[in-house]
Amino acid sequence: MSHFLDRLRYFSQRREPFSAGLGEVRAENRQWEDGYRNRWQHDKIVRSTHGVNCTGSCSWKIYVKGGVVTWETQQTDYPRTRAGMPNHEPRGCSRGASYSWYLYSANRLKYPMVRGRLLRRWREVRKTMAPLDAWAALMADPQAKDYKPVRGLGGFVRATWDEALEIVAAANVHTVKRHGPDRVIGFSPIPAMSMVSYAAGTRYLSLIGGTLLSFYDWYCDLPPSSPQTWGEQTDVPESADWYNAAYIIAWGSNVPQTRTPDAHFFVEARYNGTRVVAVTPDYAEVAKLSDLWLHPKQGTDAALAMAMGHVVLREFFLDRQCDYFQAYCRRYTDLPLLVTLRHDGERWIPDRYLRASDFADALGSPGHAEWKTVGFDASGRLVVPQGAIGFRWPGQDSEDRGKWNLEQKAADGMLVELNLSQIDRCDDALDVAFPYFGGTPHEHFPHNTQDGDVLLRRVPVRRVATRDGDCMVATVFDLLCAHYGLDRGLGGTCAKSYDDNLPYTPTWQQAITGVSAEHAIAVARAFAETAEKTHGRSMVIIGAGMNHWFHQDMNYRSIINILMLCGTIGVSGGGWAHYVGQEKLRPQTGWTALAFALDWIRPPRQMNGTSFFYAHSDQWRYEKLDVEELLSPLAPRGKYGHSLIDCNVRAERMGWLPSAPQLARNPLEVAREAAQSGIDPRDYVADALQSGKLHMACEDPDDPANFPRNLFIWRSNLFGSSGKGHEYFLRHFLGTRHGLQGKDLGEEGGRKPEEVTWHAQAPEGKLDLVVTLDFRMSTSCLYSDIVLPTASWYEKNDLNTSDMHPFIHPLSAAVDPVWESKSDWEIFKAVAKRFSELAQGQLGVERDVVLTPIMHDTAGELAQPFDVRDWKKGECAFVPGVTAPAITVVERDYPATYARFTSLGPLMDKLGNGGKGIAWNTEEEVRGLGGLNYLVEDGPAKGRPRIVSDIDAAETILHLAPETNGQVAIKAWEALSHITGRVHRHLAEAREDEKIRYRDIQAQPRKIISSPTWSGIESEHVSYSAGWTNVNELIPWRTLSGRQQFYQDHAWLRDFGEGFALYRPPIDTRSVAALHGKRPNGNPELTLNFITPHQKWGIHSTYTDNLIMLTLSRGGPIVWLSEADAKRGGIVDNDWIELFNINGAITARAVVSQRVQEGMVMMYHAQEKIVNVPGSEITGMRGGIHNSVTRTVLKPTHMVGGYAQLSWGFNYYGTVGSNRDEFVIVRKMASVDWMDRVQREQRQNASARGNAT
Amino acid sequence: MRTDHALFLRALSALLAYPDSELRAALPEIDTTVRNTRDLKTRTRDELLALLDELSRSDALEAEAHFVDVFDRGRSTSLNLFEHIHGDGRERGSAMLDLRQRYLEAGLEPSGNELPDHLPVLLEYLSCRDGAETRETLGDCAHILRAIGNRLLHRRSHYAAVFTALLELAHADGLDPHARVPAPENLDISWEERPAFANDRAPPCRPADFRR
Repeated sequence: MSHFLDRLRYFSQRREPFSAGLGEVRAENRQWEDGYRNRWQHDKIVRSTHGVNCTGSCSWKIYVKGGVVTWETQQTDYPRTRAGMPNHEPRGCSRGASYSWYLYSANRLKYPMVRGRLLRRWREVRKTMAPLDAWAALMADPQAKDYKPVRGLGGFVRATWDEALEIVAAANVHTVKRHGPDRVIGFSPIPAMSMVSYAAGTRYLSLIGGTLLSFYDWYCDLPPSSPQTWGEQTDVPESADWYNAAYIIAWGSNVPQTRTPDAHFFVEARYNGTRVVAVTPDYAEVAKLSDLWLHPKQGTDAALAMAMGHVVLREFFLDRQCDYFQAYCRRYTDLPLLVTLRHDGERWIPDRYLRASDFADALGSPGHAEWKTVGFDASGRLVVPQGAIGFRWPGQDSEDRGKWNLEQKAADGMLVELNLSQIDRCDDALDVAFPYFGGTPHEHFPHNTQDGDVLLRRVPVRRVATRDGDCMVATVFDLLCAHYGLDRGLGGTCAKSYDDNLPYTPTWQQAITGVSAEHAIAVARAFAETAEKTHGRSMVIIGAGMNHWFHQDMNYRSIINILMLCGTIGVSGGGWAHYVGQEKLRPQTGWTALAFALDWIRPPRQMNGTSFFYAHSDQWRYEKLDVEELLSPLAPRGKYGHSLIDCNVRAERMGWLPSAPQLARNPLEVAREAAQSGIDPRDYVADALQSGKLHMACEDPDDPANFPRNLFIWRSNLFGSSGKGHEYFLRHFLGTRHGLQGKDLGEEGGRKPEEVTWHAQAPEGKLDLVVTLDFRMSTSCLYSDIVLPTASWYEKNDLNTSDMHPFIHPLSAAVDPVWESKSDWEIFKAVAKRFSELAQGQLGVERDVVLTPIMHDTAGELAQPFDVRDWKKGECAFVPGVTAPAITVVERDYPATYARFTSLGPLMDKLGNGGKGIAWNTEEEVRGLGGLNYLVEDGPAKGRPRIVSDIDAAETILHLAPETNGQVAIKAWEALSHITGRVHRHLAEAREDEKIRYRDIQAQPRKIISSPTWSGIESEHVSYSAGWTNVNELIPWRTLSGRQQFYQDHAWLRDFGEGFALYRPPIDTRSVAALHGKRPNGNPELTLNFITPHQKWGIHSTYTDNLIMLTLSRGGPIVWLSEADAKRGGIVDNDWIELFNINGAITARAVVSQRVQEGMVMMYHAQEKIVNVPGSEITGMRGGIHNSVTRTVLKPTHMVGGYAQLSWGFNYYGTVGSNRDEFVIVRKMASVDWMDRVQREQRQNASARGNAT
Repeated sequence: MRTDHALFLRALSALLAYPDSELRAALPEIDTTVRNTRDLKTRTRDELLALLDELSRSDALEAEAHFVDVFDRGRSTSLNLFEHIHGDGRERGSAMLDLRQRYLEAGLEPSGNELPDHLPVLLEYLSCRDGAETRETLGDCAHILRAIGNRLLHRRSHYAAVFTALLELAHADGLDPHARVPAPENLDISWEERPAFANDRAPPCRPADFRR
């Protein structure tokens, strides 16, 4: 029987069950859903982002309801990439998604706060005195300094904005007048992430003549290898370009953890068939995304990279010549250039590049001939190829104009093909000496003993007739092959096979790194093979794990060598991808004018942070590393002395590095005296310095005359996150309680510096006033005297760009700043206003003597072409800007500081704008900005464009910069064309009429316009890739040779053994032995290498006090250690442990994990000491931060200046704050003391001490 | 509406405000209010008077520094009530909005820069309402008031007196001087998540269970 009529045909039964009775359809009231709907209701969505440390630069939707920020979600409207490529969105991570917590959190700073003890003194004197006299009286009264020893011990009280600003302004005016403007210091990092906020402080400081400290080098995120190799601070591909790679090595870079919003490209590349290798000592997250995981012992990566270079040279250059690599290296690298050899007994030592000036006729190219490198062409002729730095700065009528390019031409215009090797034409094969450091014993790192510390390798050489007679020369390529130990049939010691244990074979490295020779060979071979087949699409993503070591340059350069050999640099999908803390400020040249007040006064005072902190937190007083330990065995002994700070002081007076403070006297007074004497102030200062009447401050950093006096910290947690040598900061910089365990050179009877005055009594508390702007109570705030509550990232208008993607997008005020907070822009504007008022009658129009080092990307970089000569030792004349710092006298109108702060000054019309060695007229943009922002109606800045609000400031940046104003981009490219002699404007032509304004980017992120500030381009055909314009537009790299340099020929680099990349073991910081076994608590003590990788639950210290992130981790400071070490130390997971050495102590919980290699501990950078930190058994104080066990050690090669690409630039070159070579004693704690009720007592005790001193 | 009830709540609200010069000048007025408040346990009144006494006698800046240490830093004794309920949760935003709405409905426009859940704000609002609402509202958040108060007791702060008084107004249990503020070493236990399926003997989940 049919069931046809049993079934309904046009209806279904309302309650018909489905899915085997698990489901049923009902119709009922669904009002309950409104509860959810209402919960997600909002009044508006505002676009903003997270604005300091994170490179992610993700755009977010901020939801506002009833004037309250309720939550945030990721923006999804980034412009599409292009066909065939994945898109950027979604961008964001758990950290950003929890940010709105900060707005209303209990940790939020709500009111201006002042250290109670300071405020008491202030109010007392203020009763009878005017503000300026009041501050002067406080500073003159030794009793009044009692607020210094209680820094960090609480005791804040609220103050009104008026009162707080008055103290700050009075202190600044007093300091400028009494000690000098350069004694007012400012520190703020990573401008790209909120460039207006950064500019607010630096604009104020630059107007008053204060000192700005660099951060990139101090953070040890700057890889000096980049300026050395390319003359560029750092330029890297956008993350989307990973997708274009065919082979990726992630080397010391933990992409999914530290580049979370970009990691999807990494994974998508794998789907695309890209081979992915991870190189990390620990089983980091990136390892699980990779096809192969190599885990060399931490700090030995250069040995592995050298071996890989050995394989590439052997198989792709010697056994067989790969056409692509040959052509690339000939054209874009220094491999074909010639290096002179110096005779030294039986051996020869590589010296400097042969220069055109070595020949009587300068090889027909006389202009700046000492800055032009030389090679042999295919016909055996000596030629001067175009593009060397000598062509970059031609005189007005020089025949060199338009020859700074990488066309394959000689200076005479003839086409040339340079020869990489002279082995077929050599006059001789000589034994050339190379330094070898891999045999240096180290207690905790394996070494590979060879035949001494000098390796003799046979090199094919040519004899050339120079002005000074015959000279032996070799190509960089021939020297490089010998250095890598490759056999070329010339005899002598060299590796016949990969199995030989000779530097730098795969077998040799195995003994040091623990990576098998087979793996090293296989990866090197596959990397190069891929590059050959794809013409360069092999990439290394490289990170902090490589860069934070003392010998970071060697880690980097040994890898960069492979990248250059394989023709990957400047190729989309290839090259180096360094993402450590730099973050590209794309509209840079629009921003520099605003940030450094270049529109009013040039030059600004800029200082390299590391040398500053090393000197002024007195870390140099405890130096354990002797300069001699760093020298090459081939270097002359005795020439460098023993002390690192001596090297730094020499670098300062030779015009290499900047100084701060600069002169040992107030520069305003010096200028006044010069005026009275009727001598040109520049000559006056030069004479006084030379005669010794006037000294540079760096020669006596512990003399009160040379103390930094006022410090502004904003957008930064200097004391709680980035201050290497934390306890030294506490003791000397701040003068408060510290956990330092070591002795200084005086107490120890060590060897004192020669160039620096030694004071038996170390100063404590150099700073008179520390002002920190923050939105949360960070560790830095705790140690400050005045804390100003700043707007959070959802409460202000600003700009944000990154190197990870090509967009510019905003921070916008979703709500007004809560409680009494104000944006950084408004705060510094208010400080400027109060400063101007208090300056009335105290400071007028003053002349100020400013010293500037020899700057990169200026004609001045052609300063010291050959030997190093010190004027102070009578080795040369004192010539400002050539053998010594440049001296400029500038005029500051102090009462007009506020008027100048809030308007665009006339120097833009008069001097124009520019950057990186290119300059253009900007009158039209100034006019345009006046139209947009309106003009100042009255006062000292009458008729100038207004910059009153933060949006005005943003418009100023956007309107002046080529990246956001197409018309300026065209001007910039044309300006470059004058130097290169090639047409570049086509790169921006299509966008000439485009002007990106603040409201545009609020609507949607915008892709920036290609500009010569950067070496990659934005186009529909290629992803942003560093070096792209060098390779495709034939714009030289900004180096001595104009090419990418394998060789560094500066005397200091050679003497410190780093002419060529090689392996150097970590340094011995000597910070453990003095304490090991001396302070027993009954538990075993382990000595382990202290590694500080980037966080998973925070961006440095931000978010680490956020309850959500604390809940995801373990709710307080943690340290990872290996199972084997834990067992030896009797430690189980979650135990409280202490890490200590002579620098100080940390308390934390143990995470015992298979992830970690034996011999090391990892503590994520950086966990605040304000959250769940118990007392230390060693110091008797609360445990410190990760930097409590570190101390900065400078590297002399980073001080070099006055030499083409090795000339100084702000955040471009300089000493770096490395910290991974450090060792600590790790021990289970016997007792955990939370020190809960002791703060007040401590304050009282400290006060007793403070009064006593 | 200068009722006894209103004045007392205003006094308590004021006592939790920043002890600046304005507040110090008003201490005698607050003192009088406290003394005149009927239906207050003697001991509670004495404690409040002790707080008043401390505020008026202690050095101004010391008192301010103490306030900052206790109320401006950290979450354990924060005066923002939702810090203790929602903490960092997303519900916090809408909870604040609801509270703000309640103020608006009572004809009170929030001015000033404190958030709606700031305890002195709430107390001022209640001072404009009747005693029943006060009792009910304070009763609703008695557990939070008690927790904050106990922590203040633990820190030996006289501010605990205000919380004692508030609990009394709510007819709720008072502070417990022996309350265990979880020791930091026991943090793990207090944060530990309960296992999702702790009870092995519970019957296993079956599809059939959902049909009932």
